[in-house]
Amino acid sequence: MHLTNHITDEQLNEYLDNEIKDPAQIELHLSSCADCAARLATLRALFSEIESLPELALSHDIAVPITRRISGLATLPRSLRLTMILQAATAIVALIFAAPFVMQLISLYASSLQVLSVADVFMRLQTQWRTWLDMLSQFQLPRIPEIPVIELSGLFIMLTVVGVSLLWLIGNGLLLRNQMK
Amino acid sequence: MSAPSDRDLIQRAHRGETEAFGELITRYQTNVFNVCYRILHERAEAEDLAQETFMRAHERLMTFDAERPFGPWIRRVAANVCLNHLSVRKITAELNEERDADASQKPEAVQEARERSDQIRDALASLPPHYRIVIELRHYQEMSYDEIAMELNIPLSDVKSHLFRARKLLAEKLHASD
Repeated sequence: MHLTNHITDEQLNEYLDNEIKDPAQIELHLSSCADCAARLATLRALFSEIESLPELALSHDIAVPITRRISGLATLPRSLRLTMILQAATAIVALIFAAPFVMQLISLYASSLQVLSVADVFMRLQTQWRTWLDMLSQFQLPRIPEIPVIELSGLFIMLTVVGVSLLWLIGNGLLLRNQMK
Repeated sequence: MSAPSDRDLIQRAHRGETEAFGELITRYQTNVFNVCYRILHERAEAEDLAQETFMRAHERLMTFDAERPFGPWIRRVAANVCLNHLSVRKITAELNEERDADASQKPEAVQEARERSDQIRDALASLPPHYRIVIELRHYQEMSYDEIAMELNIPLSDVKSHLFRARKLLAEKLHASD
Protein backbone atom coordinates (compact mmCIF):
# COMPACT_ATOMS: atom_id res chain seq x y z
CA MET A 1 0.00 0.00 0.00
CA HIS A 2 1.47 3.35 -1.01
CA LEU A 3 1.32 6.25 1.47
CA THR A 4 -0.90 8.95 0.00
CA ASN A 5 -0.53 11.48 2.86
CA HIS A 6 2.71 12.93 4.17
CA ILE A 7 4.70 10.89 6.68
CA THR A 8 4.07 12.03 10.25
CA ASP A 9 6.90 13.23 12.51
CA GLU A 10 6.31 10.20 14.75
CA GLN A 11 6.75 7.86 11.79
CA LEU A 12 9.96 9.63 10.77
CA ASN A 13 11.31 9.20 14.29
CA GLU A 14 10.46 5.51 14.29
CA TYR A 15 11.91 5.09 10.80
CA LEU A 16 15.26 6.57 11.84
CA ASP A 17 15.21 4.44 14.99
CA ASN A 18 14.72 1.31 12.82
CA GLU A 19 11.51 0.62 14.69
CA ILE A 20 9.05 0.84 11.81
CA LYS A 21 7.47 -2.41 10.70
CA ASP A 22 7.34 -1.72 6.97
CA PRO A 23 10.16 0.69 6.04
CA ALA A 24 9.70 0.02 2.31
CA GLN A 25 6.48 2.06 2.30
CA ILE A 26 8.18 5.00 3.97
CA GLU A 27 11.13 4.80 1.59
CA LEU A 28 8.81 4.72 -1.42
CA HIS A 29 7.05 7.86 -0.23
CA LEU A 30 10.33 9.59 0.58
CA SER A 31 11.63 8.97 -2.90
CA SER A 32 8.77 10.95 -4.37
CA CYS A 33 8.11 13.60 -1.71
CA ALA A 34 10.66 16.38 -1.33
CA ASP A 35 8.87 17.83 1.69
CA CYS A 36 9.06 14.61 3.73
CA ALA A 37 12.63 13.96 2.53
CA ALA A 38 13.64 17.42 3.79
CA ARG A 39 12.02 16.78 7.18
CA LEU A 40 13.82 13.45 7.37
CA ALA A 41 17.15 15.15 6.61
CA THR A 42 16.55 17.70 9.38
CA LEU A 43 15.73 14.97 11.88
CA ARG A 44 18.75 12.93 10.78
CA ALA A 45 20.97 15.98 11.33
CA LEU A 46 19.59 16.31 14.86
CA PHE A 47 20.36 12.63 15.55
CA SER A 48 23.85 13.15 14.24
CA GLU A 49 24.38 16.20 16.45
CA ILE A 50 23.19 14.40 19.57
CA GLU A 51 25.36 11.38 18.88
CA SER A 52 28.45 13.38 17.97
CA LEU A 53 28.66 14.93 21.43
CA PRO A 54 32.29 14.43 22.50
CA GLU A 55 33.05 12.71 25.78
CA LEU A 56 34.33 14.83 28.64
CA ALA A 57 37.39 13.79 30.58
CA LEU A 58 37.22 12.91 34.25
CA SER A 59 38.95 15.35 36.56
CA HIS A 60 40.79 12.48 38.27
CA ASP A 61 41.32 8.73 38.00
CA ILE A 62 38.61 6.97 39.99
CA ALA A 63 40.14 3.49 39.67
CA VAL A 64 42.43 3.96 42.68
CA PRO A 65 39.81 5.04 45.27
CA ILE A 66 37.42 2.31 44.14
CA THR A 67 39.97 -0.50 44.31
CA ARG A 68 40.97 0.82 47.75
CA ARG A 69 37.37 0.66 48.90
CA ILE A 70 37.05 -2.85 47.51
CA SER A 71 40.26 -4.02 49.12
CA GLY A 72 38.96 -2.75 52.43
CA LEU A 73 40.94 -3.51 55.58
CA ALA A 74 44.15 -4.37 53.77
CA THR A 75 44.45 -0.79 52.57
CA LEU A 76 43.86 0.84 55.97
CA PRO A 77 46.77 2.88 57.28
CA ARG A 78 49.27 0.80 59.25
CA SER A 79 48.96 3.05 62.31
CA LEU A 80 45.20 2.48 62.42
CA ARG A 81 45.57 -1.29 62.16
CA LEU A 82 48.20 -1.31 64.94
CA THR A 83 45.96 0.81 67.17
CA MET A 84 43.09 -1.59 66.63
CA ILE A 85 45.25 -4.62 67.49
CA LEU A 86 46.58 -2.85 70.61
CA GLN A 87 43.06 -1.98 71.74
CA ALA A 88 41.93 -5.55 71.26
CA ALA A 89 44.90 -6.88 73.25
CA THR A 90 44.32 -4.36 76.09
CA ALA A 91 40.66 -5.28 76.33
CA ILE A 92 41.41 -9.02 76.43
CA VAL A 93 44.09 -8.61 79.14
CA ALA A 94 41.81 -6.38 81.23
CA LEU A 95 39.00 -8.93 80.84
CA ILE A 96 41.25 -11.78 82.02
CA PHE A 97 42.32 -9.79 85.11
CA ALA A 98 38.81 -8.70 85.95
CA ALA A 99 37.11 -12.05 85.41
CA PRO A 100 37.67 -13.47 88.98
CA PHE A 101 36.39 -10.23 90.57
CA VAL A 102 33.36 -10.17 88.33
CA MET A 103 32.54 -13.81 89.13
CA GLN A 104 32.90 -13.11 92.85
CA LEU A 105 30.64 -10.09 92.60
CA ILE A 106 27.99 -12.03 90.71
CA SER A 107 27.98 -14.90 93.24
CA LEU A 108 27.75 -12.38 96.13
CA TYR A 109 24.70 -10.67 94.64
CA ALA A 110 23.10 -13.93 93.56
CA SER A 111 23.18 -15.33 97.12
CA SER A 112 21.54 -12.19 98.55
CA LEU A 113 18.76 -12.14 95.96
CA GLN A 114 15.26 -12.86 97.23
CA VAL A 115 12.63 -14.30 94.95
CA LEU A 116 9.43 -12.37 95.51
CA SER A 117 5.98 -13.61 94.60
CA VAL A 118 3.55 -11.44 92.60
CA ALA A 119 1.45 -10.98 95.76
CA ASP A 120 4.51 -9.70 97.70
CA VAL A 121 5.34 -7.23 94.95
CA PHE A 122 1.74 -6.03 94.83
CA MET A 123 1.68 -5.62 98.64
CA ARG A 124 4.89 -3.62 98.60
CA LEU A 125 3.62 -1.38 95.81
CA GLN A 126 0.38 -0.83 97.68
CA THR A 127 2.23 0.09 100.86
CA GLN A 128 4.47 2.44 98.94
CA TRP A 129 1.47 4.03 97.25
CA ARG A 130 -0.23 4.60 100.62
CA THR A 131 2.90 6.17 102.00
CA TRP A 132 3.05 8.56 99.06
CA LEU A 133 -0.64 9.41 99.45
CA ASP A 134 -0.11 10.12 103.17
CA MET A 135 2.82 12.34 102.38
CA LEU A 136 0.82 14.22 99.77
CA SER A 137 -2.11 14.71 102.16
CA GLN A 138 0.32 16.32 104.60
CA PHE A 139 1.65 18.60 101.86
CA GLN A 140 5.04 17.10 102.15
CA LEU A 141 7.19 16.23 99.25
CA PRO A 142 8.21 12.59 99.12
CA ARG A 143 11.69 12.00 100.38
CA ILE A 144 14.27 11.67 97.69
CA PRO A 145 15.99 8.33 98.13
CA GLU A 146 19.62 8.60 98.97
CA ILE A 147 22.05 7.64 96.27
CA PRO A 148 24.56 5.17 97.62
CA VAL A 149 28.10 6.46 97.29
CA ILE A 150 30.23 4.09 95.29
CA GLU A 151 33.64 3.44 96.69
CA LEU A 152 36.42 3.65 94.18
CA SER A 153 37.70 0.20 94.91
CA GLY A 154 40.17 -1.71 92.77
CA LEU A 155 37.30 -3.81 91.48
CA PHE A 156 35.36 -0.74 90.41
CA ILE A 157 38.35 0.66 88.56
CA MET A 158 38.95 -2.71 86.91
CA LEU A 159 35.34 -2.95 85.77
CA THR A 160 35.50 0.58 84.39
CA VAL A 161 38.65 -0.22 82.43
CA VAL A 162 37.05 -3.35 80.97
CA GLY A 163 33.85 -1.51 80.10
CA VAL A 164 35.60 1.39 78.43
CA SER A 165 37.96 -0.90 76.51
CA LEU A 166 35.10 -2.99 75.22
CA LEU A 167 33.14 0.09 74.17
CA TRP A 168 36.20 1.50 72.48
CA LEU A 169 36.81 -1.75 70.64
CA ILE A 170 33.20 -2.13 69.51
CA GLY A 171 33.04 1.53 68.46
CA ASN A 172 36.21 1.27 66.41
CA GLY A 173 35.06 -1.99 64.90
CA LEU A 174 31.90 -0.30 63.68
CA LEU A 175 33.88 2.64 62.27
CA LEU A 176 36.29 0.36 60.44
CA ARG A 177 33.41 -1.68 59.09
CA ASN A 178 31.90 1.47 57.60
CA GLN A 179 35.21 2.41 56.04
CA MET A 180 35.50 -0.99 54.42
CA LYS A 181 32.15 -0.64 52.68
CA MET B 1 52.64 -8.41 25.14
CA SER B 2 49.06 -7.46 24.23
CA ALA B 3 46.68 -6.00 26.79
CA PRO B 4 44.35 -8.53 28.45
CA SER B 5 40.82 -8.68 27.06
CA ASP B 6 37.81 -7.57 29.09
CA ARG B 7 36.84 -11.22 29.38
CA ASP B 8 40.21 -12.11 30.96
CA LEU B 9 39.95 -9.20 33.37
CA ILE B 10 36.41 -10.17 34.38
CA GLN B 11 37.48 -13.75 35.02
CA ARG B 12 40.40 -12.58 37.12
CA ALA B 13 38.11 -10.18 38.98
CA HIS B 14 35.80 -13.16 39.63
CA ARG B 15 38.72 -14.84 41.34
CA GLY B 16 39.09 -11.82 43.60
CA GLU B 17 41.90 -9.96 41.85
CA THR B 18 41.20 -6.33 42.67
CA GLU B 19 43.86 -5.12 40.21
CA ALA B 20 41.97 -6.74 37.33
CA PHE B 21 38.81 -4.90 38.31
CA GLY B 22 40.89 -1.73 38.61
CA GLU B 23 42.00 -2.20 35.01
CA LEU B 24 38.36 -2.50 33.92
CA ILE B 25 37.60 0.74 35.77
CA THR B 26 40.48 2.48 34.00
CA ARG B 27 39.11 1.32 30.65
CA TYR B 28 35.51 2.33 31.22
CA GLN B 29 35.59 5.19 33.71
CA THR B 30 35.32 7.91 31.02
CA ASN B 31 32.39 6.11 29.35
CA VAL B 32 30.61 5.68 32.66
CA PHE B 33 31.30 9.22 33.79
CA ASN B 34 29.85 10.57 30.53
CA VAL B 35 26.68 8.50 30.92
CA CYS B 36 26.26 10.01 34.38
CA TYR B 37 27.13 13.48 33.21
CA ARG B 38 24.69 13.42 30.30
CA ILE B 39 21.92 12.43 32.69
CA LEU B 40 22.83 14.57 35.70
CA HIS B 41 24.66 17.54 34.17
CA GLU B 42 26.65 18.14 37.31
CA ARG B 43 30.30 17.16 37.28
CA ALA B 44 30.91 16.35 40.95
CA GLU B 45 27.69 14.40 41.21
CA ALA B 46 28.47 12.52 37.98
CA GLU B 47 31.91 11.57 39.32
CA ASP B 48 30.38 10.32 42.58
CA LEU B 49 27.82 8.25 40.71
CA ALA B 50 30.48 6.90 38.36
CA GLN B 51 32.23 5.54 41.45
CA GLU B 52 28.95 4.21 42.77
CA THR B 53 28.38 2.48 39.42
CA PHE B 54 31.65 0.57 39.68
CA MET B 55 30.98 -0.36 43.30
CA ARG B 56 27.61 -1.75 42.32
CA ALA B 57 29.10 -3.52 39.30
CA HIS B 58 31.68 -5.14 41.57
CA GLU B 59 28.93 -6.40 43.88
CA ARG B 60 27.12 -7.94 40.90
CA LEU B 61 30.20 -9.15 39.08
CA MET B 62 29.86 -12.73 40.31
CA THR B 63 26.55 -13.03 38.48
CA PHE B 64 27.85 -11.32 35.33
CA ASP B 65 28.58 -13.64 32.41
CA ALA B 66 32.15 -12.94 31.26
CA GLU B 67 31.17 -13.87 27.69
CA ARG B 68 28.89 -10.84 27.47
CA PRO B 69 30.39 -7.49 26.45
CA PHE B 70 31.27 -5.48 29.54
CA GLY B 71 30.89 -1.98 28.01
CA PRO B 72 27.14 -1.97 27.31
CA TRP B 73 26.49 -3.64 30.66
CA ILE B 74 28.44 -1.14 32.74
CA ARG B 75 26.85 1.77 30.85
CA ARG B 76 23.43 0.32 31.59
CA VAL B 77 24.33 -0.05 35.27
CA ALA B 78 25.40 3.61 35.23
CA ALA B 79 22.10 4.68 33.69
CA ASN B 80 20.25 2.72 36.36
CA VAL B 81 22.30 4.24 39.16
CA CYS B 82 21.54 7.72 37.81
CA LEU B 83 17.89 6.88 37.36
CA ASN B 84 17.61 5.78 40.99
CA HIS B 85 19.45 8.89 42.04
CA LEU B 86 17.06 11.11 40.10
CA SER B 87 14.06 9.36 41.54
CA VAL B 88 15.09 10.27 45.08
CA ARG B 89 16.56 13.65 44.42
CA LYS B 90 15.40 16.35 42.12
CA ILE B 91 18.39 18.01 40.61
CA THR B 92 18.75 21.37 39.03
CA ALA B 93 19.86 21.27 35.46
CA GLU B 94 22.72 23.63 35.83
CA LEU B 95 25.98 23.02 34.10
CA ASN B 96 28.94 23.11 36.37
CA GLU B 97 31.64 23.28 33.83
CA GLU B 98 35.06 24.65 33.48
CA ARG B 99 34.64 24.22 29.75
CA ASP B 100 34.96 27.90 28.87
CA ALA B 101 38.24 28.24 30.64
CA ASP B 102 41.07 29.28 28.31
CA ALA B 103 38.64 29.23 25.37
CA SER B 104 40.41 32.23 23.88
CA GLN B 105 43.50 30.12 23.25
CA LYS B 106 41.68 27.57 21.09
CA PRO B 107 41.79 27.72 17.29
CA GLU B 108 38.59 29.08 15.78
CA ALA B 109 37.29 25.77 14.34
CA VAL B 110 37.90 23.94 17.61
CA GLN B 111 36.24 26.68 19.56
CA GLU B 112 33.19 26.60 17.28
CA ALA B 113 32.85 22.84 17.69
CA ARG B 114 33.19 23.25 21.42
CA GLU B 115 30.53 25.93 21.53
CA ARG B 116 28.18 23.68 19.57
CA SER B 117 28.85 20.83 22.00
CA ASP B 118 28.07 23.16 24.87
CA GLN B 119 24.80 24.14 23.18
CA ILE B 120 23.85 20.49 22.80
CA ARG B 121 24.75 19.80 26.44
CA ASP B 122 22.74 22.82 27.55
CA ALA B 123 19.79 21.67 25.46
CA LEU B 124 20.05 18.16 26.96
CA ALA B 125 20.32 19.65 30.45
CA SER B 126 17.13 21.61 29.94
CA LEU B 127 15.10 18.45 29.27
CA PRO B 128 13.03 16.88 32.05
CA PRO B 129 14.87 13.89 33.58
CA HIS B 130 12.58 11.25 32.06
CA TYR B 131 13.26 12.66 28.58
CA ARG B 132 17.00 12.75 29.25
CA ILE B 133 16.97 9.10 30.22
CA VAL B 134 15.32 7.93 27.00
CA ILE B 135 17.71 10.03 24.92
CA GLU B 136 20.63 8.46 26.79
CA LEU B 137 19.37 4.92 26.35
CA ARG B 138 18.41 5.34 22.68
CA HIS B 139 21.19 7.53 21.28
CA TYR B 140 24.17 6.67 23.47
CA GLN B 141 23.40 3.13 24.54
CA GLU B 142 21.64 2.18 21.28
CA MET B 143 18.83 0.33 22.98
CA SER B 144 15.66 -0.61 21.10
CA TYR B 145 12.24 0.72 22.11
CA ASP B 146 11.39 -2.64 23.70
CA GLU B 147 14.63 -2.70 25.70
CA ILE B 148 14.06 0.86 26.93
CA ALA B 149 10.49 0.03 27.93
CA MET B 150 11.74 -2.96 29.90
CA GLU B 151 14.63 -1.07 31.45
CA LEU B 152 12.46 1.82 32.62
CA ASN B 153 9.42 -0.31 33.28
CA ILE B 154 7.18 1.93 31.20
CA PRO B 155 4.82 1.14 28.28
CA LEU B 156 6.20 1.10 24.74
CA SER B 157 3.90 3.99 23.83
CA ASP B 158 5.56 6.12 26.54
CA VAL B 159 9.00 5.35 25.14
CA LYS B 160 7.87 6.55 21.72
CA SER B 161 6.21 9.68 23.01
CA HIS B 162 9.07 10.56 25.39
CA LEU B 163 11.62 10.20 22.59
CA PHE B 164 9.51 12.16 20.16
CA ARG B 165 8.91 15.04 22.57
CA ALA B 166 12.50 15.05 23.80
CA ARG B 167 13.81 15.37 20.24
CA LYS B 168 11.30 18.06 19.44
CA LEU B 169 12.40 20.06 22.47
CA LEU B 170 16.05 19.53 21.60
CA ALA B 171 15.49 20.71 18.04
CA GLU B 172 13.69 23.83 19.27
CA LYS B 173 16.47 24.65 21.75
CA LEU B 174 19.22 24.07 19.21
CA HIS B 175 17.51 26.08 16.48
CA ALA B 176 16.86 28.88 18.93
CA SER B 177 20.55 29.03 19.74
CA ASP B 178 21.62 29.01 16.03
